[in-house]
Amino acid sequence: MDTAKDTSARRPVKLLIVDDSNIVRRRIERSQQFDDLEVVGTAANGIEALELARKTDPDLVTMDLTMPQMDGIECITQLVKLKPEVRILVISALSDKATAVEAMERGANGFLDKPFTDRQLNEAIAELMY
Amino acid sequence: MLLSGVDRNRRLLTAAAGFLLAAVMGLVLIIGFRLATQIRGNVGTLQRASELETYPSVVSQQLTALRERLDTLEYTGHVHAELAASVHGFDRDFAALEREHDLDPSAMHAATALWHSYTPVLTPVLAYHGEPYSDTATNSSLSRSGRVFYAHVRRAELFAQANAAALHRQLAAVSASLQARTAAAASRLRWLLSGGVLAVLLLGLAAAYLQLARARGERAAREAQEQTRDILATVREGFFLLDADYRIGAVWSKALTHMFGRENFAGLSFEELLRDRVSPETLATATKFIKLLWGERAHENLMKSINPLGQLEVSMDNGRGGKETRYLQFDFHRVTGPKGVKHVLCAVGDITSSVLLSRELHEAQENAHSQLDMMVSMLHSDPLQIGTFLDSAAAGLKHINAILKEPARSHGEFSKKLAGLARELHAMKGEASALNLMSIAQRVHHLEDMVAELKGRSELTGNDFLPIVLKLDELLAHLRGVREMTLRLTALRDNSPSPEATLSTPALRIGSSGPEELAATLQSLARKLAQDHGKDFSLTVNGLADCPRSYLPTVKDCLIQMLRNSAVHGIEPDEVRRAGAKSAGGQVRVDFRRAGSGYELLFEDDGAGLSPETLKEAAVRKNIITAEQAAQLDNRAALALIFKPGFSTRAEVSMDAGRGTGMDVVAKAVYGLGGKIGVSTNPGRFTRFKIALPAASESAVA
Repeated sequence: MDTAKDTSARRPVKLLIVDDSNIVRRRIERSQQFDDLEVVGTAANGIEALELARKTDPDLVTMDLTMPQMDGIECITQLVKLKPEVRILVISALSDKATAVEAMERGANGFLDKPFTDRQLNEAIAELMY
Repeated sequence: MLLSGVDRNRRLLTAAAGFLLAAVMGLVLIIGFRLATQIRGNVGTLQRASELETYPSVVSQQLTALRERLDTLEYTGHVHAELAASVHGFDRDFAALEREHDLDPSAMHAATALWHSYTPVLTPVLAYHGEPYSDTATNSSLSRSGRVFYAHVRRAELFAQANAAALHRQLAAVSASLQARTAAAASRLRWLLSGGVLAVLLLGLAAAYLQLARARGERAAREAQEQTRDILATVREGFFLLDADYRIGAVWSKALTHMFGRENFAGLSFEELLRDRVSPETLATATKFIKLLWGERAHENLMKSINPLGQLEVSMDNGRGGKETRYLQFDFHRVTGPKGVKHVLCAVGDITSSVLLSRELHEAQENAHSQLDMMVSMLHSDPLQIGTFLDSAAAGLKHINAILKEPARSHGEFSKKLAGLARELHAMKGEASALNLMSIAQRVHHLEDMVAELKGRSELTGNDFLPIVLKLDELLAHLRGVREMTLRLTALRDNSPSPEATLSTPALRIGSSGPEELAATLQSLARKLAQDHGKDFSLTVNGLADCPRSYLPTVKDCLIQMLRNSAVHGIEPDEVRRAGAKSAGGQVRVDFRRAGSGYELLFEDDGAGLSPETLKEAAVRKNIITAEQAAQLDNRAALALIFKPGFSTRAEVSMDAGRGTGMDVVAKAVYGLGGKIGVSTNPGRFTRFKIALPAASESAVA
């Protein structure tokens, strides 16, 4: 991708992937095509995500909504309080628009529907970070 | 933006030109006023100077007159007074003239000197106060002072005569210089006025040019406005702007009028616009969604998929006085200015065709799937059976067509029609499911739904049947497709090196099938029903080989129907059977045998049996009989209720039961062959149907 070439000189973007499904986490990790994007952690629920966010100081977080222990909505709320500068991309198969809109209200920057194509994911990341 | 910038510049220019015009005019006026004042003053001075020019000669003449009077010893008083007045007047006027600025100084200086030279000679004359004559009785003569006075007068007269011309010349020179200066001032004034007029003209031209340019600009703006209006009137999307209070702005596209059935949208709130068209929950979500656009965090491109108004179903005027269902898509975009978000642009598009297209695609996909399923089930069943089914389905459809064509007016006639349709469809569905042809079974099931819906209506017209006719066409096309596929499959099988292939030609095999195939069909249906309804039972079929070919279709119909009833109503679930101390798997038996000159078909299951009370209750609920009639029925008559049209004990409808047709089809078919049908039951133990058929004609016997 062009964007990747253009920005290779910059500080790498630190990505934290939050999803309770191992398959989805790996899918996101492998689909992203940016040279300067570094996956700094993967979390399976909101509590793990917050811990990792404190430790790794990510620039971008991909966030599932339905997760055990702490769901995405709650996690977004706390994450925005913790790190107001962080960009959050919700990746969810939610059919309930009200919850999706609520996630955005709490501070998510964008929403990507599951299932998604590699192209959609990369375009969304580019839109948020570059 | 650009237009208003140009406009502002032009306005500034116009103001500057106006200011300049005023300044130039002011300057011209001030200078002109001063010049005019100077000229007016000069004119006065000039008058005074020309008056002064006469004095030297006047003074000279008065001196001569005074001398002549003294010569003739006449009275001199008044002449002396006149001279004094003239000299005084000259003094006064000359002093006044000296005070004027605009005089040629050298000429004035010369005039002053000359006039001052008069003083020594004039003073003794004017100063004289005595009596010039001494009078005796006989004559008068000059007195002593008179002689001195005379000498002074004479001297003054001579002086005046000598200098009058020179003084006059000097005074004329003063006048001339003054005249020249006045002429110069007048000329300056003329130039000034010409210049002023020129400047005014130039500025006027500039103002006219600016005005013209402004008019042109305004016309361009008007045209731009008109173009915007044209675009908004023509574009098929609905466009409007929302402010921070969710109110619609002053401009919107005409398409909205049709979409929302109102003319004026200015100031309307988003809620008022959609209140009648979406649920309050959706509206609330939509409002929150729009609010996200006013914030900074949300990325417009990454929230399209969560737009709650991405596909909104609305009922709209179709332009012919009716209503039609359309699908609208609301798109929201930020409109940003230098100070952040100014508005949210809302674009409403009619996406009906794409929604319908995607639906068609979906249906086509489903069709493809069902055809695949169909292929698979056809591969697993005997083409002969499918052929038989297709023949009977074709016959059924013919019958259905005949029923549809029957004239009907009264509600009773329509009801009869619907009952006929329901029977035929139910039979067709039964056969299709028996052969596992689920795509056909589902289509017929859907038709049954439509018929059932019509049954529930209190008033009916011929038009109500139109959707059924359309659906029947679809079914017919589908059946044709299946037949085609069957032919191909048969051809495929016949071409393969199989020993059976040589037994008969495909044409003969399709359309007729023997008792063996029927037994296989029943077994397959039994397995399928057991699976679908979670029941465990086995089917035993005996003696079908004895069945005459002409009876086979009817026997098949009856058996399929009864088998379904057993699977749905008769055989109990496992736990119920165990509680009733019955064997785990249910038993269903079919026995066909010769009986006397005719035949007997026995169908028996070891299921729950029939309860006369339950049957009566169901019949009352279905309005087949009244409660009073039910009370009078004995057990035998109650059991016979199951052969009534429209009877069913199932509350909900499934693919296999609950339609209220079934046993009446069986009974009708049996009566059609001249046979009889009876039922006996032992609640909790068994249900048994006994069908007696007369002898068949010999030619039809297998």
